[in-house]
Amino acid sequence: MPDKNMRFLVVDDFSTMRRIVRNLLKELGFTNVDEAEDGQVALHKLKTQHFDFIVSDWNMPNMTGIELLKAVRADQQIKHLPFMMITAEAKRENIIEAAMAGASGYIVKPFTAATLEEKMNKIFQTMNK
Amino acid sequence: MSDFGGMEELLQDFLMESTDLLSDVDNKLVELEKRPEDKALLNDIFRGFHTIKGGAGFLNVGPMVNLCHRTENLFDKLRNGELHITPEVMDVILDATGIVRDMFGTLGQGLMVADADADVLNALDAVLAGEMPGKAAAPAPAPAPAAVAAAPAVQAVASPAPAPAPAAATDGPDWNALHQAIVPQAATAQPAPAAAPAPAPAASAAPAAAVAAVVSTPVQELLPAAEHIPAAKPASKAVANKQPSSAGNSSGPQENTIRIDTVRLDMVLNLSGEIGLTKNRLTTLRTEILQGNRDGNTLRSLDEAISQLDLLVGDLQNAVMKTRMQPIGRLFQKYPRLARDLARQLGKEVELVLSGEETELDKTMIEDLNDPLVHLVRNAVDHGVESPEERIAAGKKPQSLIQLTAEQVGDHIQIEITDDGKGMNPDALRRKAIEKGLIDQETANGLDEKQCLQLIFMPGFSTKDQISSVSGRGVGMDVVRTNIQKLNGRIDINSLPGEGTRISISLPLTLAILPVLVVRACNQPFAVPLAMVREIITIDPNAIQEVSGKPTIVVRDEILPLRTLAGLLGWEPTQKPYFGVLMQSAEKSFILAIDSFVGRDDVVIKPLQNIRPKGVAGATLSGDGSVVLVLDMEDLLSSSDGTNGQVRTSELISV
Repeated sequence: MPDKNMRFLVVDDFSTMRRIVRNLLKELGFTNVDEAEDGQVALHKLKTQHFDFIVSDWNMPNMTGIELLKAVRADQQIKHLPFMMITAEAKRENIIEAAMAGASGYIVKPFTAATLEEKMNKIFQTMNK
Repeated sequence: MSDFGGMEELLQDFLMESTDLLSDVDNKLVELEKRPEDKALLNDIFRGFHTIKGGAGFLNVGPMVNLCHRTENLFDKLRNGELHITPEVMDVILDATGIVRDMFGTLGQGLMVADADADVLNALDAVLAGEMPGKAAAPAPAPAPAAVAAAPAVQAVASPAPAPAPAAATDGPDWNALHQAIVPQAATAQPAPAAAPAPAPAASAAPAAAVAAVVSTPVQELLPAAEHIPAAKPASKAVANKQPSSAGNSSGPQENTIRIDTVRLDMVLNLSGEIGLTKNRLTTLRTEILQGNRDGNTLRSLDEAISQLDLLVGDLQNAVMKTRMQPIGRLFQKYPRLARDLARQLGKEVELVLSGEETELDKTMIEDLNDPLVHLVRNAVDHGVESPEERIAAGKKPQSLIQLTAEQVGDHIQIEITDDGKGMNPDALRRKAIEKGLIDQETANGLDEKQCLQLIFMPGFSTKDQISSVSGRGVGMDVVRTNIQKLNGRIDINSLPGEGTRISISLPLTLAILPVLVVRACNQPFAVPLAMVREIITIDPNAIQEVSGKPTIVVRDEILPLRTLAGLLGWEPTQKPYFGVLMQSAEKSFILAIDSFVGRDDVVIKPLQNIRPKGVAGATLSGDGSVVLVLDMEDLLSSSDGTNGQVRTSELISV
């Protein structure tokens, strides 16, 4: 079972969406959640604070989710963090790009707490292997 | 009763944020009518609908998702150039926007919205499908209204192909299978989903395994393999045309908050405190003077106090300005990766070298500079530099060098992008422009080499016959120039065939204060941006020559058209103009004939409320308290490209 105290970083430029994700995580019992409004802010937080899991939107100003993902994977300190990519686009290039960049999971908007849990559990399983 | 039990707060947040977003979209639609091909605008609007759709999906507002999805698709096609704005298309878009706004109103009362008017949905579908039949461009045939309301939002996002996929999958490839393909890659190199729990159709599971197998190989090799995936579902291809570029993504709504170094803020506080003290001193002096005490000492004190105030206000302005200044490095730091990724995709070796990252620039300008700079960097990598083989053949190092520099020069910021690539061939540009029908043969023959380089700024100009997946999307060079000009900046090109290209952007330090030249025409002062003024000449009536019916003057072998300010404004001239201001706006140079000069000044532009006269950027106050109109030369010229500014030569020559 994943540790319910693990610390999440939710990255999205649309504050309503951050709140939605935060609520869904809460439904699943994860309450230790911080937010960032774009990739740049997120990267700064990731470098200065401790997090266990990143949930990021793809389409953001300043620094997109995929740019953030690449930056995370390129940083020795945080490269191991599970990274869930959220997007409204269920497109071939996107998922391939995310896969290439090392995304741990990919979830298409809109989704329910159950879907999120399922995707997260898959990530946890892989991590524990 | 609310239809949104338990989600009211979320709904309110969504409505507040989305309403702002929609207002922004509305404004941009108005601008779009003026500049229908503006990619940056199209991108912004696309993002607006995209974000609203995402939020609406979570709130299960199917009708809104449905409507926004179609509108988003439409903008995707518009920005890809597959469709073009016509008045009819615009009507449909405005209708759709209006309905989304109405839906916000209904949601605001806590009620679920009904389906959008079928006419509007049909019209959107018609626009989407009508102009490109046979490409399966349209979203699925609209489901029956009742079904939409009842169906989960996932369905409302409507895939063209009815995928028999598991719950999480929407349209396109089988996501669970692909997801499985991704996960093992993150952990081990264990080859894909033999034990995929998802009941994935065999057809898509196999190519997914292919993805996993090649996932560590370069993109070029991966993509052909990946082609198989959608093969079974050609319909997804039409939607897949959209590939979010970092250029487009970055042009989101601007931040309204700013982080300020406390030292700078303290400086502002100190100065405003000192100004307060000086004001007290002045109040005391006023009382003394009003009481009749006008001896030398009092007047000297008054003089001192005013001089001090003068200094303090100047310092305060600078200090306030400094709070808006941000290092340009914030922007630059993203580009090396951009250049590298792109170079790798193209099989080129490129090093992007930055310098002058600490150069400070007004915050709003930094935000607005991103799109143009991304485009220029992409251009340099894609079009500017050659492949290693070509470079070796040309006797150069295989790795090419692109330099991005920023530097403060006087009261300007100079940004340069220099590459050591193949340079631009003026003749090739000239030929291309004729081929594209942008200029005619005669005009082309009249262009010198420098002017040929300027051709790349023309809307619709692209030297690549085929738009590659890398560049050719997002903004074009014409938009780059428009964006730079909006910042009161200038963009110049220098290129030596075989040696490389240098693009220089010159920007004022801030947008808050505009250096202007104040001129007089028709007994009224007008301010023109000093950035456009090249020099000032006296108009000798004998020097005016008529070229194809238009008055011109030759200045240092350059034939320049003469336009009178009164004529451009559409006013009756009150006297024959004595002076000419040689103005340079982008590639166009002309002489603005005016009556006399007042001088140069630094002004703060106040926008005019509610009215927007042609060619007027705003108003400002001159030292004597009178109102001076600040002219927007681009607007003035474009609004009177007809005959307004073209005076008959006889009007300019004394009889």
